[in-house]
Amino acid sequence: MARRALAAGVLCLLTAGCTFAQNPQVPADQTSTLKVGDMAPDFELPDHNGNMIKLSDFRGKQSVVLAFFVLAFTGG
Amino acid sequence: MHNYRDSLQQFRELDAQVLGISVDAGPSLKVFAEQNGVNFPLLSDFQRVASAQYGVLNQERGFANRATFVIDREGKIKHIEVGRTAIEVAGALNACRK
Repeated sequence: MARRALAAGVLCLLTAGCTFAQNPQVPADQTSTLKVGDMAPDFELPDHNGNMIKLSDFRGKQSVVLAFFVLAFTGG
Repeated sequence: MHNYRDSLQQFRELDAQVLGISVDAGPSLKVFAEQNGVNFPLLSDFQRVASAQYGVLNQERGFANRATFVIDREGKIKHIEVGRTAIEVAGALNACRK
């Protein structure tokens, strides 16, 4: 009985964890607005040294790895 | 970002430019880059426009979820990784090799 309750508890935690980690409606290789094969939306933003970086400036020259992160939660 | 810093040479060999992007303000990013030896640009999406365009903005909390996009030379998205695995560089490196 105790084991069953424990299993149920673990299942609840796992489910909650997965729900928190990711919206189950959207597959891991898509976002709510983009999927593989779409054109990347252009933007122009300042970098940490104040230089303006425009995504479309790399077009025809280099591929780009765009890594969204959160400073406050950056562990790696 | 440490993983990207440590793997930057591999991305360079694949002729890929790494860009970090965060909703944090420029001065915070500058301090972070200096303290952690970040050797690629960290973009400040303080207005959260790019985060919204890319569909990674967490509306409730106001920051962008962890996500990685690999964009080919034509400007087309060839790889998307959302969530915890986006911390790792393996998926992005593989996509750059294709």
